[in-house]
Amino acid sequence: MEEQELVVRMEKISKVYPNGIAANRDVDFSVKKGEIHALIGENGAGKSTLMKILFGLEQPTDGNIYLNGEKVTLASPLVAISKGIGMVHQHFMLVPSLTVAENIVLGMAPKKSGIFIDNKEAVRLTREYSEKYNLHVDPDARVADIAVGMKQKVEILKALVRGARVLILDEPTAVLTTQETGELFQELKNLKEKGFTIIFISHKLKEIKELTDRITIMRSGLSVGVYETDSISEQEISRLMVGRDVVLKVSKTESVPAETVLTVNDLHYINEWDKKTLNGVSFAVRSGEIVGIAGVEGNGQRELVDILFGLKLPASGDARVSGQSLIGLPQARIRHLGVSYVPEDRMTFGVAQTASIQENVISDRYSRKEFNNGPLFNMKSLHKESDKLIVDYAVLCKSRSQEVGMLSGGNIQKVVVAREFSSDPILIIADQPTRGIDVGATELIRKRLVELARAGCAVLLVSADLNEVMELSDSLIVMYNGRIAGYFDDGKWDDVMMGEYMLGLKSQSDEEIRRACHA
Amino acid sequence: MRDRRMILFGLVRGAAAIAVALAVGAIFIFLSSKEPFTALRYLLIGPFLSFHGGEIAFNTQNFYQVLAAMIPTIFTGLAVCVMFSANQFNLAAEGCVLVGAFTGSLVGIYVNMVTGLHAVVCVLIAAAVCGLIMLIPSLLKVKLGASEMVTSLMLNFVLLYVVLHFLNYHFADRSKGATMTFPFLESSKIPSLVPGNSKLTWGFVIALIVAVVVWFFMYRTRWGYAIRMIGINESFSLYSGMNVGGTIVLSSVFGGVLAGMGGSIEVLGRFNTFQWRELPGYGWTGITIAILAKNNPAAVPLAAFFLAYLNKGCQLMATHSDVPSEMIDIIQATIFLFFAAEQFMSGFRQKLVVKTTREELKKMESVNVLEEESGHASTTV
Ligand SMILES: Nc1ncnc2c1ncn2[C@@H]1O[C@H](COP(=O)(O)OP(=O)(O)OP(=O)(O)O)[C@@H](O)[C@H]1O
Ligand SMILES: [Mg+2]
Repeated sequence: MEEQELVVRMEKISKVYPNGIAANRDVDFSVKKGEIHALIGENGAGKSTLMKILFGLEQPTDGNIYLNGEKVTLASPLVAISKGIGMVHQHFMLVPSLTVAENIVLGMAPKKSGIFIDNKEAVRLTREYSEKYNLHVDPDARVADIAVGMKQKVEILKALVRGARVLILDEPTAVLTTQETGELFQELKNLKEKGFTIIFISHKLKEIKELTDRITIMRSGLSVGVYETDSISEQEISRLMVGRDVVLKVSKTESVPAETVLTVNDLHYINEWDKKTLNGVSFAVRSGEIVGIAGVEGNGQRELVDILFGLKLPASGDARVSGQSLIGLPQARIRHLGVSYVPEDRMTFGVAQTASIQENVISDRYSRKEFNNGPLFNMKSLHKESDKLIVDYAVLCKSRSQEVGMLSGGNIQKVVVAREFSSDPILIIADQPTRGIDVGATELIRKRLVELARAGCAVLLVSADLNEVMELSDSLIVMYNGRIAGYFDDGKWDDVMMGEYMLGLKSQSDEEIRRACHA
Repeated sequence: MRDRRMILFGLVRGAAAIAVALAVGAIFIFLSSKEPFTALRYLLIGPFLSFHGGEIAFNTQNFYQVLAAMIPTIFTGLAVCVMFSANQFNLAAEGCVLVGAFTGSLVGIYVNMVTGLHAVVCVLIAAAVCGLIMLIPSLLKVKLGASEMVTSLMLNFVLLYVVLHFLNYHFADRSKGATMTFPFLESSKIPSLVPGNSKLTWGFVIALIVAVVVWFFMYRTRWGYAIRMIGINESFSLYSGMNVGGTIVLSSVFGGVLAGMGGSIEVLGRFNTFQWRELPGYGWTGITIAILAKNNPAAVPLAAFFLAYLNKGCQLMATHSDVPSEMIDIIQATIFLFFAAEQFMSGFRQKLVVKTTREELKKMESVNVLEEESGHASTTV
């Protein structure tokens, strides 16, 4: 390898966090100019940490960094940005109350009369870049109101506007639908042709095979090898990552649906811009079955789930669990009915970051008798409960008292899933349950979900990952434009067919759709 | 091993922070005083040593006074801890101390009861009244979304003038030159803990006990847990099914109860009549203490001691040396600032962590050679 063609060379990087976790140990990592380089490894392997070091967010305990052959010290992201490095984080770093354009120019804002952000200029800049790189966003929308997929694009634009030549994407596809992912890949390939260098973190091996040129595999804070993507199979990758063979196909027995648990009846929702985002949705979920909801982001799935968990109020219509209406109920009551929910936005709803793992896994059950002795907590049973969940869901951590915010992204998700799956629910609403989780743990969570369903739980699975929905669901609802475009319960589906319904090219008759209600 | 090192580090850091803070304070003293060593001596060791003609002796009375000064501030520190933990920037502890002191006084003057029980009843009623008062900012927050910071700040002045009104027009002892109430009944006074005139009463013991109770409440009960979780992430708490509004009200009411106890214990222990005509300032000190203690009730007595000691040292310095009183405020603020500086010695801490981790990694590796490689290797050590 020629020294010159390495844009990034990290040499013997070690990182010990203040809590004593050695996240990186003598890692060598290098990226060639103009390549798409995958960085993969289990949850907590140290991928994000390595990239944060490259972006100047964390300082290495040891080791050297060379950019274009020149030794550099990346004291802060500002330095890294000035050297042409851009990063899209695993957890978005946008200001929710500002608009898309404002977020994009934040910190480098074009100023009018020195102080105030020139909003017109910001919007223009946003438009220009979004045209140029074919990343379509609405510059005037408030970030709080846009979907995760959109936030992703905003983050990428943000990096591009700042002049990034090396783009680090930390699990960019975890939140995207198949279509969006396809789109993104096209874009990334374009960028690559224009001479950009891309570092790509993902847990989806298929994507890695499709997109990248070379792969660096990490395990337990060590780099375990660099490979040409073409020279290595998915099987081999996962074995190198996890240390064993991984079966992603979950073996599923035939479902035997029993009584109806959730009935959704003619839900309508009108958003702030007077757009009908739900337009008469009705279906039912029975105990023992997994009902999947597929659809391109922004076709009403978000609103549907929010309404079911009491985060939004519908314009009309009803949703009932065991006969009791959910509309207008506080979350405490909804949970009391036996509903649990894996939220899409884990950092806002899923966890309290500076609280310990234990405090996070008991948040829905801490007032139960078994965890209290009179006025005091029964610490012993709380410890027991949290230790059990940590083991059951393979949360990689030092101990139950470790702060959740210090876990790796995938392990935070495991904490959320552990809590929601273990509360003896009669209905689980799982919104992207395996988002950002490595192959090994994905297998585990999918298995758990199927087990729960077969044990009599009703499961509503919403996922942008079409493969996941197709594989796990017993019956499948496709949403398009605020309506149900198709309902399938024969288990015979493939992505081509799904795609047609998801894009609105096809839709079933009212008759066929009404079968979803089992009435 | 790691834990022991970290505890040791905590102690070393504390000591070093105080040393640096004092060193900086000393610079100011040397700049402004002709007798810097006398000044420094009073500041540093005056609160517990006295010097008479070259003889050094333990000054029990001064030291007791330091402890006595901690009584109200422990209570307000705890009150602020509880409210800040729920992310409620409620500043009404200040007004509650005043109202608590006033209510406690009234019960101490106008209600007849047996010694022992009387003081307890005074404090309980004061606590209850202040708890009720805290319903105002917290309900306004929960029901209407009004900022508790603004409402509680305003509330302090409302409370001040309400108390003044009742003091002036209804409960003043007209036979006295100054505005004050009639004297408290003997049965209502909080008895002294030690002989002498230091005002170190049983209130001190109660304050320490309450600190322990509040710690248990915050870290070992479901209510304290809910308060802390709401403080960390309200959306998460709501989504988890907690009663967010109710818990916010609870934390404020509890804060009021603690502040009310502090106020009443302070007047009934220290004075014979009630004659405060302005806000006593203990609520503000409570905020400082809560910040120093990082909202941890167990650390509140330590923080209160630190402030009381510093205060006493500065007082002594002001009376016995030529350091101007403005300078004393500056010195006090500087010392406080350095002590509170979070990042202090973090570089040293990091080195210590790295060293420990490396050692542990090495040890693990030597163990790992013996064991079979497990499927789920772990980075954590
Ligand atoms: N701020 C932090 N403080 C302390 N420890 C941390 C911090 N961030 C990460 N860690 C720890 O460092 C290790 C590596 O974390 P990192 O986020 O780099 O993993 P990752 O490979 O990105 O995993 P994932 O696929 O789950 O995102 C983990 O054990 C994690 O708990
Ligand atoms: Mg990560």
